Amino acid sequence: MSEEKDKAIYSADHCLSCTSCMSSCPVMEATQEYRGPKLVGPAHSRMHFSQEDYEDSLDFCSNCKSCDRACPSGVAVSTLNMLQRGEYYRTHPHKQRDQMLAHGEDMGKLVRSLPFGAACANLGMKIGKSLGVFGMLGIAGKRDMPSYASQSFYSWFKGYKQQPSDKKVVFFPGCFINDNEPQVGIAFVKVMQKNGYEVLVDQKFNCCGSPMVVTGYLDEAKEHAHNNVARILEWKAKGIPVIACCTSCSLMLKEEYGELFGEDEMHEAGANVYDAFEYLAIMEEKGELNTSFKEVKESLMYHVPCHLKSQGFGTPAKDILEEVPGVSVELADAGCCGISGNFGFKDDKYEISMKVGAKLFERINISQADEVICDCGTCRMQINHGTQVKPCHPIEILAKAYGE
Amino acid sequence: MEKATVVVVGGGATGVGILRDLAMRGVDVMLVEKQDLVNGASSRYHGLLHSGGRYAVKDQEAAKECIIENTILRKIGKSCVEASGGMFICLDIDREQDPTYEEQWVQGCKDSGIEARQISLDEAFRLEPLLSRHVVSAYLVPDAAIDGFRMSWQNVDSAKRYGGRLKTYTEVIGVITENGTVKGVKVRDYFSGEEYEIACDILVNAAGGWAGELAQLAGLEVGVQPDKGTLLAFNQRLTSHVVNRLHKSSDGDIFVPHGSITILGTTSMSVPSAEDTSTAREEVEKLMSIGEKTFEHLRDCRMLRAFAGSRPLYIPPGGSLGRGASRGFAIVDHEKQDGLKGMFTIVGGKFTTYRLMAEKMADAVAAKLGNTEPCRTAEEPLVPEVSEADKKAARKYFPAYGTDLAATRLGPERFARVTETLKNNPEKRELLCECENVTVGEVEEMAKELSSFRINDIRRRTRLGMGTCQANFCALRSASVFARVGRDEGAKDSLGQMKEFLQGRWKGIRPVLLGRTIRETEMTRALYELSFNVNGHRIGGDKE
Repeated sequence: MSEEKDKAIYSADHCLSCTSCMSSCPVMEATQEYRGPKLVGPAHSRMHFSQEDYEDSLDFCSNCKSCDRACPSGVAVSTLNMLQRGEYYRTHPHKQRDQMLAHGEDMGKLVRSLPFGAACANLGMKIGKSLGVFGMLGIAGKRDMPSYASQSFYSWFKGYKQQPSDKKVVFFPGCFINDNEPQVGIAFVKVMQKNGYEVLVDQKFNCCGSPMVVTGYLDEAKEHAHNNVARILEWKAKGIPVIACCTSCSLMLKEEYGELFGEDEMHEAGANVYDAFEYLAIMEEKGELNTSFKEVKESLMYHVPCHLKSQGFGTPAKDILEEVPGVSVELADAGCCGISGNFGFKDDKYEISMKVGAKLFERINISQADEVICDCGTCRMQINHGTQVKPCHPIEILAKAYGE
Repeated sequence: MEKATVVVVGGGATGVGILRDLAMRGVDVMLVEKQDLVNGASSRYHGLLHSGGRYAVKDQEAAKECIIENTILRKIGKSCVEASGGMFICLDIDREQDPTYEEQWVQGCKDSGIEARQISLDEAFRLEPLLSRHVVSAYLVPDAAIDGFRMSWQNVDSAKRYGGRLKTYTEVIGVITENGTVKGVKVRDYFSGEEYEIACDILVNAAGGWAGELAQLAGLEVGVQPDKGTLLAFNQRLTSHVVNRLHKSSDGDIFVPHGSITILGTTSMSVPSAEDTSTAREEVEKLMSIGEKTFEHLRDCRMLRAFAGSRPLYIPPGGSLGRGASRGFAIVDHEKQDGLKGMFTIVGGKFTTYRLMAEKMADAVAAKLGNTEPCRTAEEPLVPEVSEADKKAARKYFPAYGTDLAATRLGPERFARVTETLKNNPEKRELLCECENVTVGEVEEMAKELSSFRINDIRRRTRLGMGTCQANFCALRSASVFARVGRDEGAKDSLGQMKEFLQGRWKGIRPVLLGRTIRETEMTRALYELSFNVNGHRIGGDKE
């Protein structure tokens, strides 16, 4: 059993007040309104005893987790922030937009339940944008909302005939891949097939809860965690790992549940979850990766998402894609893109989000690369918004290399 | 020559209590202290306002006094007492060692008027999640935490309203007598070295661990045995209640959540002089090995520092020493005992009963002066509280979680001034001390006080530098603020002030130089010795 003392909340005690987190916080660099991770997370945790209060600038934390990665003492800074945000919303009303931004899953389900739902919703969003409806809701009016794909991933999967295999993995598409970018999931299934794996899906999974956590719906996120953890453990018992292509989903399933809610099962379940390229790298290490790649003549610029960096397994997508004949991969190495989940969709955070992303946009704009790759769906949207370049998921390039 | 009807020597809890009590009775009284207030045992202790539970078996008189005074202080000292409540926990080893103690203790509490309510183990672990699972029973008692710094200054603020006077950094170096009667004291200013006399009719020796030395200046003998207790300060609140072991009182068995930190103590060791506030690694280890029985993960917790103070135990001829010695107090009328008119000594006792001690002492002094005013210290609050409305209005200028604490530290008048400063000067809302949430505005307010001679004096009144980084970031900042607004000339020596401040922090850090504390200290060293080169080393070594 894990000990009470191992809970993230106690990691505040490890803070030496060294300020590394503040100097690596992209939001602080963009605005002085945020007091910074050290003060809001670890320092304040020592003062909560004194009175019922809240830190106004906590709202500026995007949960990009740069602070956690910068911390030389292992303080779960962003988790302390998210727990505190959750506490705040226990006694304070949410903004109107929060309900929408935190519940993409419900929106997706609604769209799918209506005939021509996706097309209508996309049209609706376009009209809504031009009429300034989003602005009224508190959503950044300058941004396009993610449009719905005409066919969801799950719906495609039902009609897809796979080569059966004893080697199986469960794919966790997450809301964004399922509803908005099913091509990523499709590429994943084809890549796994080429490696002799049969891909399963489990529609009893629900949204990983990441958008809820960052918007302060902690209790709801915990319910999702309980459901998903039970599902993962059931698959674990059968010896089947769960794999996600969205790095925020995989981080949530792997680590954040345990950090936020501290239950033993969450840690246990987390150990059975992998990011797609993390899993491919493990296969390669065992000599099991199918490396009969076709030539793909593309130079790629790779923006590594913050939530991938937080998982601490390096950049296997770069390593694997570089084995594909004709492919070169250059790391953008330009920090956070600024969107950080739904952060950049909030109208009052839009400018900050664009300021944070400026370095990356500049890097992409002057780059000679044929294509930009990135594992995270919202990062891809931000890159598209900031540069007009349409990036893809690295798994799509790999699928190409397999001739798919 | 300066004159006061009564001169009280010693700015500890007893001294400030007497100052306040006599001032409220209309007596012209002055307190002299050789350092800053509460330099001795009155701040170098747990910060525990006893419910009396600790004495319920061994000394029921003391237990009864404690619960009465505890109740009074929680009422009059709302700005310095944190009514956290206390928990007594019996561990399996405690029960094995003395199976009957718990029963005696429950009865003792009942007989002493202390409400001790047994709670289920589930409830105990819910209230204190880090408690060892070896707890076999738990009780709640009305223990509380009391801040020695705030309490002493609030007594002084109260006394000042009635004309009481205070001189800190003023050491008594002689007692002037004439025909067997005290006429005054000779004092020396700590900073200037100037010596002068203060005339008085009555001299009260409340010098605590130094009471024997003061008595000697008058050619008298008072048996005081300084009994050193070492304590550890942890970086976080490990508990929300005061947690005591339910067993025969012993070393290292009390945890007091004190503001943002937790204090564990204490040891008990006779030392030759109350000046000895040194702490050793062995004492730290001893406290840890006992403390980890209550909280098994204690060694994972960051220690901020160790500190020590000496209980001034009164030793009547033939008395015993150490933990066995009486925690009670004694008042000596030197006219009766030694034939010296106009001098009293009050010694011993415990912080929790300081008000009662002061009352008894003031009764005796008043009787000599023919003053018949009754004691009112138990009825009137030490300082008026800052109103909820004022706190609410000030909230937007203070850092989050910082308004209430600033209000209790500052009191209504200073709080109003600081609020105005923050309101008009947004740059002064910046945190000077990030760990303890202290604004530039508050530090400036305290730096301007006439009693602020050193950064350490400001520290004791604001908690500046007492948190996680132990002045790593605020030493530099506070030295600059002090040099700018300090009233004393010494404030201008910013480098000297800063070094002295850091050195004081280092004293407490050195014995706990383990784990993360080493890393913190290395950062301090890198900042001050390397980046700022505060010691002025030359490139290529100091040799010519």
